[in-house]
Amino acid sequence: MRVARKNLFHLLEPLLSEVEHPARYLDHEWGAIHEQDGPFHLCMVYADVYEVGQPNLGVSILYNNVNAEEGMSCERCYLPWKDMAALMRERGVPLLSLEGAAPLASFDAIGFTLAHEFIATNVLETLDLAGIALTSAERDEDDPIILAGGPSAWNCEPLAPVFDAVLLGDGEQSIVEVCACIRDAREEGAPRREILRRLARVPGTYVPSLYDVVVDDSSTRWGYAVARSCEDTPQIVFKRCVNDFASTPAVAQRIVPYMGIVQDRFSLEVLRGCARGCRFCQAGMTYRPVRERPAEQVVSCGVEGLLTSGHNEISLTSLSTTDHSQCAEILRDMNAELEGRGIRVSIPSQRLDSFGVEMAAAVAGGKRGGLTFAPEAGSQRLRDVINKNVSEEDFERAARNAFEAGWRRMKLYFMMGLPTETDEDVIGIARMAERALEIGREVVGKGVKSGVSVSISVAVLVPKAHTPFQWVGQLDPEEVRRRQQLLLHEIRDRAIRISYHDADVSLVEGALSKMGRPGFDLVQRAWELGCSFDAWTSEFRFDLWQRAAAELGLDLVDVACESFPLAARLPWDHTSPGVDKGYLQREWLRALDEVTTPDCTRTSCTGCGVCPTLGVHNVIQGVRS
Amino acid sequence: MSRTQVQPVKARPQDLPVKADLARLRVAYRKDSRLAYLGHLDLIATIERCVRRAGLPFSIGNGFARRMRIQFSSALPVGASSACEYFDLRLDESVDPDEALGALRGATPRALEPFRATYVPGRLPALEAWLDRASWEIELVGCGATAAELLDAVELVRGRGTLTYLRGEKEKRVDVTSTLVSLAVEEEEGGLHVNLETRSSNAGALRPQVLLSAALGEIGCELPAATRIRRCAQRHEEDGRLVEPFGPFGKTGETSVS
Repeated sequence: MRVARKNLFHLLEPLLSEVEHPARYLDHEWGAIHEQDGPFHLCMVYADVYEVGQPNLGVSILYNNVNAEEGMSCERCYLPWKDMAALMRERGVPLLSLEGAAPLASFDAIGFTLAHEFIATNVLETLDLAGIALTSAERDEDDPIILAGGPSAWNCEPLAPVFDAVLLGDGEQSIVEVCACIRDAREEGAPRREILRRLARVPGTYVPSLYDVVVDDSSTRWGYAVARSCEDTPQIVFKRCVNDFASTPAVAQRIVPYMGIVQDRFSLEVLRGCARGCRFCQAGMTYRPVRERPAEQVVSCGVEGLLTSGHNEISLTSLSTTDHSQCAEILRDMNAELEGRGIRVSIPSQRLDSFGVEMAAAVAGGKRGGLTFAPEAGSQRLRDVINKNVSEEDFERAARNAFEAGWRRMKLYFMMGLPTETDEDVIGIARMAERALEIGREVVGKGVKSGVSVSISVAVLVPKAHTPFQWVGQLDPEEVRRRQQLLLHEIRDRAIRISYHDADVSLVEGALSKMGRPGFDLVQRAWELGCSFDAWTSEFRFDLWQRAAAELGLDLVDVACESFPLAARLPWDHTSPGVDKGYLQREWLRALDEVTTPDCTRTSCTGCGVCPTLGVHNVIQGVRS
Repeated sequence: MSRTQVQPVKARPQDLPVKADLARLRVAYRKDSRLAYLGHLDLIATIERCVRRAGLPFSIGNGFARRMRIQFSSALPVGASSACEYFDLRLDESVDPDEALGALRGATPRALEPFRATYVPGRLPALEAWLDRASWEIELVGCGATAAELLDAVELVRGRGTLTYLRGEKEKRVDVTSTLVSLAVEEEEGGLHVNLETRSSNAGALRPQVLLSAALGEIGCELPAATRIRRCAQRHEEDGRLVEPFGPFGKTGETSVS
């Protein structure tokens, strides 16, 4: 018997005065949908605290779409922070949704957003707090159907035993189809196993329990998934793709939070997909093709979204907003519309090669805080290896434009541990930072009062599924630390600040990105030992992850740093974003030859295979130059 | 060498409006039900968004950050509700206060509903410092002490003059002699009902739960988990008289100190 659906806020309320940030648990925000009559009930879960999960655009889009359907309701749930979780366990309060304060276990379906690999232990923590069995195999007939989707679903095998179904690609339409499928099957009284079979027939839906993992000579040690021959399931599940992106509502964020959240602004997705082809970038491969919204839609919906939400900042989001063929026009028109209202227009990060004078003037209105660029590698050779098609000239021009337009602080993102990286490339990072500082001082002046500073942030490459680097082993953490020290010693100017990603954190992320279905044992053991909120620096417990791995006879360095043969069948080959594996192999070989591949939105097709495989195409509103 | 200086606004400084000359709309609102748990900074952000949604012609400061010109009454403790919170909003142009109130009500969550809006003199001091008297009602549900015991304990705390307490990890001090105006306790079913009158100044403000925790501590009791605190009035104290938030502000309209 499923847990009864009822409002249990009275159980939570007495705990509010005993926890940090009680505003996390309040609900009733402006724009939240309070009528949650169902009769079909979905709860979307972002398994982190409210202020981290609430800005997620994907959850907002699915929330709106499901609630717009007759007879379907969608609520939200975030993972309570540790203080609240402990109190809830102590007082026997189950995890509740926000809108209806109903037990999670009472819902027809629960949808997890997999924003990154480190959310894995939090998924288990969520299910445990909700009193729902951790694995699909252990669930009873009436239990909610546990769904997942999002950017990290591209190697969801370490969590595959948890999920009843995984939605691949754009979820706008498929979430509604999946909910309808569950609703209809329930109405017919279909048993749980039959519901899962039917879900596997909804395009873009991967049902892990209908696939067996086989380890043989053609695979890595993690094996590959094979559809059971007796089941009507596809051997490869291709992602869903909304080709007519402009026809989807541009204003997705309707809920205005009470508390400060990590991206406390109105976000509007101006385009989806990126075809630049950076070889380390999972999103660049999995969100193809490129689909732009028209400028007039962005401007009118942006203004509407600001007026109805009351935000004082709008962020034009996408994987690469300055690549929008009408970006300058959008910024110009939006700034004109919003003049005098104290509203700031921002863009998450800028590409070096498209940050022109006009762009510099239009971004951020009168306010000049910091500006972020991502050269990713310190030498032209290595930028060619990773296909980051920006040159020294692009870098110098962008830096000069930025300082001349009034910026004083520049942040540069780099990666360490890229394939073929040498000490010279690492030292190149220091030289680029120095060059940016030099340009700033040339433009603004040399004194301390000029306020010119450069910060560099150096991440560790974590090779991801469905990228040309998916076969590459991660750099050994000891070597990461040596290269970090090398860079640190090369930086002599105090106006350059440097920050690193922790090598141990990257190592665990690398292991979770590489492992197949057996990775679940590691995630479960780590969670049992006390790991949760692993994406929080303050909460990450490397010792517990190491202990969990050791208990399972695994060595994290060995797992993360292992290279796979180019011909091997990979643990994630049965899920596909439409990009051909042959294309990824070619791209890997071109990387080794230091040969770049152009952007198909600016030249001709480069043969990634997405368009013919999915029956879609790039939608560019103007002309990209 | 080229250098571009960016002005936050296009107008010359001498052409910008003087803040005190701008229309100053005082709005009273309540804060209750679950929004009692909204912290002060989150409350400020929420009200600012309500003002924007209401479409009022709010004025923006000339500083780097281009902030809305709005001031709030003093912060409520998280978890305390209120029947009488206030904000002062500077407008670039005067709008009918009833229309402004209507627009605000249509753009504000019910638990923060505004119920009165009136223009007040532009040169009155800032709200937070000006409203220096507060009346509180506290329900101590499940409190083990009697009314007489609590009154005696409060007198003991007042007698010591200064009260030291921890706020997070910081040690704070408050002068009870000057900040505690009066206290009345009634016994009712299931606990105690307290009416408390406090005064705030630059030296500090007395939080009801700080006073009651210290007093109950004197008699070996703890502040009950189910304590409900409500601010029921805020006023300005001037020359021994109390001025209501919406005035009248002249000598003739002042009410006498009770």
